[in-house]
Amino acid sequence: MITTTFANNGQAQQRTRVSFRRPLRVTLAETTRAILRNRGGCWIGTVLVAMMLVTAILGPFVFPIDPNLQDIANRFAGPSASHLLGTDYLGRDLLARLICGCRIAMSVAFGSISLSAIVGVILGVISGYLEGSKLDYATIFVFDVVRSFPQVVLALAVVAVLGCSMLNLILALAFTVFPFYGRIARAQTLSVKESDYVKAAEAMGLNRMKIIFRHIVPNILAPVIVCLGMDLATIIIYEAGLSFLGLGVRPPTASWGIMLRNGYRYIETSPWMILWPAVAISLSMIAFSLFSEGLRVALDPKQRQRNV
Amino acid sequence: MLKYVVKRFLWVIPTVLGVLTLLFGLTYLLPGDPASVMLGPRATPELINEIRERLHLNDPFYFQLWYYIIGAVRFDLGHSINSGFDVSRLIADALPHTVALAISGLGIAALIGIITGAFAATHRSKYMDGMITLASLVAVAIPDFVAALLLMMVFCVQIPIFPALGAGEAGNIPDMAWRLVLPATALAIGWMGYLSRLTRESMLQVLDSDYIRTARAFAAPHRFVAYKYALKNAIIPPITVIGLGAGKLLGGAVFIEIIFNRPGLGKLIVDAVFARDLPVVQGAILVASLLFILANLLADISYAVVDPRIQYD
Repeated sequence: MITTTFANNGQAQQRTRVSFRRPLRVTLAETTRAILRNRGGCWIGTVLVAMMLVTAILGPFVFPIDPNLQDIANRFAGPSASHLLGTDYLGRDLLARLICGCRIAMSVAFGSISLSAIVGVILGVISGYLEGSKLDYATIFVFDVVRSFPQVVLALAVVAVLGCSMLNLILALAFTVFPFYGRIARAQTLSVKESDYVKAAEAMGLNRMKIIFRHIVPNILAPVIVCLGMDLATIIIYEAGLSFLGLGVRPPTASWGIMLRNGYRYIETSPWMILWPAVAISLSMIAFSLFSEGLRVALDPKQRQRNV
Repeated sequence: MLKYVVKRFLWVIPTVLGVLTLLFGLTYLLPGDPASVMLGPRATPELINEIRERLHLNDPFYFQLWYYIIGAVRFDLGHSINSGFDVSRLIADALPHTVALAISGLGIAALIGIITGAFAATHRSKYMDGMITLASLVAVAIPDFVAALLLMMVFCVQIPIFPALGAGEAGNIPDMAWRLVLPATALAIGWMGYLSRLTRESMLQVLDSDYIRTARAFAAPHRFVAYKYALKNAIIPPITVIGLGAGKLLGGAVFIEIIFNRPGLGKLIVDAVFARDLPVVQGAILVASLLFILANLLADISYAVVDPRIQYD
């Protein structure tokens, strides 16, 4: 550990010496970047993600307004004391709907990502462990076929077949994402299975299932977890997108995508109806990408040392 | 490397067959009988049976799959259930709009992304660098359909400069190009930010290298060194990523086409899904995924060509 730190320091000094720039100073740009990226960014991302989770779980209790309650007298209202973010074309409170949408987005994102990660990792590890077998080729083939559709289009087709509902949306999105986890898990397994502890476990005569789940799976999870963070953001966007098209969550339920869909219909009269869900979606994207960046740094020992 | 390229090419064939099978399986599971949809509520059982015979719907699954694959190989994708048009013709009409959208989006993204990235790298740690970094971060975070809605709200409603809907009159090139501006920008925003960040990182690495130091030691003008020498090498990683981007843009194009009401492939798919027009759904998704496979193939091969250090087995 000491040696690597020393090596890193040496490299850094050498770099500053050969470059023609002035030595690095703390400038506004560097600071912003440091905050946005590494440790600071991870911190902001984590806080934002935590806030979203808290909103999703506690929101309806803290802010007990029915997202479908209509206040026809106050249609298309801007932000005011009675409706903090304004109302939509039926006079429904936009803040309450945003909170409800947050719940939907989080449940779809976490639901489909955990489903796809579990299925993908199990398939990937088994296929990697049995490298070269027929099962391995079959799994790779399935992964490649699913990956050769544009994700949105495939999700759209699957939802069309299964019918619109939140559960089907989760299944469809999980179906489009799982090959990516499978590929990562397989690639990791190929390197892990050559390691001594796996060889030792094999020599001890442990059965294959035990080797796979006790010894291989725990050791390949780090890159999978990093991917999780980024994919959560992607899934939130797909959920909103499919709901926007009318192929996701059913309309009376307030999803961010459905709010955008309603806003699109009244784009000329009521900017608020588009603005708030747009902000919510973009914010969740920023939150989850910063969070996953932080995860990557935290889970990668080399990176961690560089930043300490 | 040649071996890798050939292998990569050959791998496309089973993948496409797999895609066909999956597509067929999906639509096979889709509820509703195409024959009765085609004939409407007044259909007699005999007529339904006749149509089912003609569409091979009474045959077992694997025969239907076989007919479907044979048809697809001959570019015969069947007829639309609703309009009766040839599916290949519908796709041929829609495809140019989508391709134009994707290419112009990619062009805008590459142009602005690479320029701002290079600028940020040459003005490292200055005010503009921080602004560009911040802007690219925000740009990456805005999904394309949200960007499309926001752009439409600002530039079609609040400040009505651009027309909101439609792809313009066929043949009227300036009109079509003018109507392409907003959709293409919306599609490009995320990639703009991504390419800008990527170019900045790779440009910084190149600017640190020995040959740039040598060029500077010879007192070559600063800007000349940066843009003539450094950018040429720094541009390689962003370019290889663009190949992957082309495929991803296809997915984004679905939303953009719906929002701006452009008659492209994405709109064809979504409309057909709502109308339960199976042959069109199948055909259009098939073409979309073929384009996607092609883009991925080109990206993989360009990786291999650009970076010979990568070992393939």
